[in-house]
Amino acid sequence: MISSDIIRGHLDSIILRLIYEKDRYGYEISKEIGLRTNDRFQIKEASLYAVFQRLEKREIIESYFGDVSHGGKRRYYRITSLGKAYFKEKMLEWQETKEIIDIFMEGLK
Amino acid sequence: MKNIHNYVEEMFKDVPDSDQKDNIVNDIIQNLEEKVMDLMEQGKSEEDAINKAIVEFGDIEEIKKELKVNQPEKRSKARLHLDFSIWGSLLIIALSIFINFYYTPKTIWFVYPTFAVAWWPLALFYRWLSLK
Repeated sequence: MISSDIIRGHLDSIILRLIYEKDRYGYEISKEIGLRTNDRFQIKEASLYAVFQRLEKREIIESYFGDVSHGGKRRYYRITSLGKAYFKEKMLEWQETKEIIDIFMEGLK
Repeated sequence: MKNIHNYVEEMFKDVPDSDQKDNIVNDIIQNLEEKVMDLMEQGKSEEDAINKAIVEFGDIEEIKKELKVNQPEKRSKARLHLDFSIWGSLLIIALSIFINFYYTPKTIWFVYPTFAVAWWPLALFYRWLSLK
């Protein structure tokens, strides 16, 4: 399992992408990340909740209580319109970054 | 499931109480409990599942860092305590001056309690300064 600093720097984007698709709750997000990456990357709960705190403070996401699970009410996260704009910006930024890094990382024999 | 509960409470022990903290502690407990249920459905024993959830939790410091940005709130509280200590010590000093001159005008002793009481606002003043 990779846990490089490079991925850590993009945790916000990874989580935002999943919330962008539809409103989700904490455990659903960590499970979905494992599922989509075939368990090559798993997010730690500590990182997940740190990101929630950070994004909620910046009003990029907001939360509300949804359906009931084993323990109690689940807290769902929803992306705000500011969040959508922010994520689109991040997507462009990543494209740009990827192209630049590729120039140096590829083609060497 | 009690283990999960205790474990999370223990981790957040040194974070000052706030609504935000309660919310996050509850959310994390619920998240981990769901994970444990999931792992048990996959055939793990309850003990194994709980241990796995706890081991995979990660570094709590990350969350603490996000919670700690509430410094200004701490500072305004320190300011309130400082104000209270100033008013409180002024009242005590005024009272000792009054008693001094009303009952024993020949001997001046009110300076001694005044010096003693002055430590109170002084201590809180430096506490307030240190939070700047």
